[in-house]
Amino acid sequence: MSVDFTLNGHPASMASPPVTPLLWALRDEKNLVGVKFGCGVGLCGACTVIVDGQQTRSCLTRLADVAGKTVQTIEGLAGDVSTAVTQAWIKAQAPQCGYCQPGFVMAATAVISADPKQSRDQVLSQLTNICRCGSYDAIRLAVGYALDSLKGRIAPQSQGSAR
Amino acid sequence: MIADKTPSRAGKIARRTFLVAAGVVGGGLLVGAGAIAVRLRSVDSYKLPTSEGEAGFGAWLKFANDGMVEVVVPHQEMGQGIYALATLLAAEGLHLSPEAIRAAPAPIHARYANPVMLLDGLPIDGANVGQLQRATLWTFDKILRALGLQGTGGSTSTRNIAEPIRAAAASALDLLTRAAADRFNTQADKLKIAGGKIVAPDGKSATYGELAAEAAKLAPRDITVPPLAAGEYVGKGAPRFDVPPKVHGRARFGIDTREKGQLYAAIRHSPRIGGALTRASLPTNIAGVHGVVEGRDYVAVVADSFALATAALEKVDIVWDKSKGLKLSTKDVFASYRAALDKGADYKPRWVIDAAGDIGKASGRTVKATYDAPFLAHATMEPINATALVTETSAKVWAGHQSASLVQMLAAGAADLSSDAVEVFTPYLGGGFGRRADLGYIVKAVEIAKKFRGTPVQTIWSRAEDIRDDVYRPGAMVDVEATLDSKGQPTSFVYRIAVPSATDQFVARAMPSAKGGLMADRSTVDGALFPLYGLPNRSIENLTVDTGVPVGFWRSVGYSLNCFFVESFIDELAASAGAKPLHYRAMLLTAAGEYEPARRAAVLLDQMGRHDLANPLAPASGAAKIGRGFALTECFHSFVGQIADVEISGGDIRVRRVHAVVDCGFAIDPPNVVAQVRSAINFGLSAALFGKIEFDQGKVVQSNFDSYPVLTLDNAPDITVDIINSGADIGGIGEIGTPGIAPAVANAIFVATGKRLRSLPFALERA
Repeated sequence: MSVDFTLNGHPASMASPPVTPLLWALRDEKNLVGVKFGCGVGLCGACTVIVDGQQTRSCLTRLADVAGKTVQTIEGLAGDVSTAVTQAWIKAQAPQCGYCQPGFVMAATAVISADPKQSRDQVLSQLTNICRCGSYDAIRLAVGYALDSLKGRIAPQSQGSAR
Repeated sequence: MIADKTPSRAGKIARRTFLVAAGVVGGGLLVGAGAIAVRLRSVDSYKLPTSEGEAGFGAWLKFANDGMVEVVVPHQEMGQGIYALATLLAAEGLHLSPEAIRAAPAPIHARYANPVMLLDGLPIDGANVGQLQRATLWTFDKILRALGLQGTGGSTSTRNIAEPIRAAAASALDLLTRAAADRFNTQADKLKIAGGKIVAPDGKSATYGELAAEAAKLAPRDITVPPLAAGEYVGKGAPRFDVPPKVHGRARFGIDTREKGQLYAAIRHSPRIGGALTRASLPTNIAGVHGVVEGRDYVAVVADSFALATAALEKVDIVWDKSKGLKLSTKDVFASYRAALDKGADYKPRWVIDAAGDIGKASGRTVKATYDAPFLAHATMEPINATALVTETSAKVWAGHQSASLVQMLAAGAADLSSDAVEVFTPYLGGGFGRRADLGYIVKAVEIAKKFRGTPVQTIWSRAEDIRDDVYRPGAMVDVEATLDSKGQPTSFVYRIAVPSATDQFVARAMPSAKGGLMADRSTVDGALFPLYGLPNRSIENLTVDTGVPVGFWRSVGYSLNCFFVESFIDELAASAGAKPLHYRAMLLTAAGEYEPARRAAVLLDQMGRHDLANPLAPASGAAKIGRGFALTECFHSFVGQIADVEISGGDIRVRRVHAVVDCGFAIDPPNVVAQVRSAINFGLSAALFGKIEFDQGKVVQSNFDSYPVLTLDNAPDITVDIINSGADIGGIGEIGTPGIAPAVANAIFVATGKRLRSLPFALERA
């Protein structure tokens, strides 16, 4: 009994029991350890992955729940938005201990991908992850950098008609 | 380092620092104590182990085969940026780009001891060192270096390794230059150094790498290390090399350890603190589950995956020994504190850790107050975990920790091996904050792995276990009493804290044969003793009340308690004297007279006043009440002033902005100083607004981020940081933002509401 889905752009078939939290299936069966364990109950967001475009707490998601779906982890990030986000995070030198940052990067990528023209505050209001080092000022800066760098590239037409 | 603190030199520095600081407020370049050239002994008796083709330069640097220069760091990287700082200092000293340098963990060796951390624990005022104190510090320094304890904590990493790395880089450059002079048959002073090459007058050149083998054969000589001052990277900072892997999810933490054939363990501790296990067993076999481990106060299930282990743990029949363990509740702990304070001077053990003048001769009005603060968990982002492999003859441990030498010692004890049979591997730490200095989790992981000899076992604490098996920031209660003369000047100050000693407990846990409680635990009154302010008649006392709750070191340790109590009470005195908070503090600093910390603090206070004037408190939204509060703290040889703007609507307290002014002597890596101060402020604010660990008949009430909330993007304030390079000796950075935020917010709440909150976390009645 395996669960089949698309993982980081490739077909995946996983043998862990279907009730296994996606977090642990990814970490222990697929060795995708960029997906972090933080709280186990969906409060901190360290385990955030993107499922069918939505930021998703993989600790609360059972493996069976992603059957037939598309799952992205930090290891499989690709595309304009995720590049903008990771570059912005590096430019802002956001991480300290760094443990929560992959979760933040995943959440920000999902939120910005949904609408790259959102305001910074709109994006920030959808990032409910926890950083115990309190790198929040740098994350605010990083989100701003990411949105700025996408302005010129993703929606050049919309800028002319913005007002 | 210690010899630098002679009274005469301290005096000179003090005057000079003051002038310099006054001139550079706002972030100018410094000259001062840090700029005095120090002749350092660069000839190391210990040499880094090297492999074929590598060239070693003493204890700190080697040229690796891949062309990189490796600098070793005896401290763990837990977010404080010490690896990046080491590369930055090595790059500066070698005139290389930081990208040419790689930081690596130092071997476990006495050469890499951290005496600074422990010297800071002595009840000696570093700014007021006489001959006796100097001799004491010198002796302790020698003993601690001989003992060779490596450790990361107490905001000491930079203070411990900056000078040795700078000296090592200067020495290596000297050797490379002499090797080039030999090769080119010219004099060293005719050579030019640029871009990792040494160039002869005739244009011939050689890279460091080409010269390294010859240079490493030359005998190092004593050299003069250039003064610590702004340079290419020092004083500016450089992108941290650990940032890209952390952003891309490639950085490896302890929990990411993946050894061949590795098994996973889920652990559950006795529901009651200090409880004991009678027996535990699985009623049926479960595929993929390898066994149940019965520990003294825990049960662990070992399985092929952590998910399996966790699920199987739910099915284990566990019998706890109900006769063991704590039975008290939070109110009992604080009742014990109250009872001790009521006994006052008659309570034992009582330590008068800092006394001056004569409190008996006090006259004037009396102001007194009682404060308290709760127990706190660390809740590092990466839950506690460790991986161990034990065989008959050796052991390996992979874990985030704050002391490699203690890990080695404790793992050896748990595995019945000698220390040199234990190898320790340290990946990045997903937060430390003092939690990973307390290494019971290493012992348990080794005990569990020992039952599966030859197989690596990773034991992971669930978040609930992480919070319930913590060593907490001690809860505490304080009675403080001052008398004020007609001008509001304190004529006496009596401060008595009832609190357990985290240090005594730590020593008892790490070294059960050692006897604790023999000397005063200075950390219990850190933030109250040796005050910045002129409090000529004072008694700063600790009443040690240990109710058995496990306590440990939590970011900024005693400062996290006492700075809240003291800086809130100073505001109370200001209000009682009818003075503005900043003016009152300025008066008390002046009253301190010729005292260097007071002079450095006065510079900060000045800057705070300027910021206050230039940035008026923004208007409230709607019916909210607003207020601005101030706090001034000294800890880990650094000074921080904080200005907090709060908005209160209903009973909700929202901290909108915090501005901090920081003097850490000289900011080697300013962007990281800003990051650390912001981090520590958010850490302290989480605690001030929400943090409490409670006990109900011996059980820990809180278990996760719902019952133990911390700040998120939504409620974390915007924080700005100004750095003042005073030129004094380098101070710590990692913890210094934490102590001042609670009092700054309490003082702001008082301005906004007229209510003085003397208990943490803050709670206001709903309006």
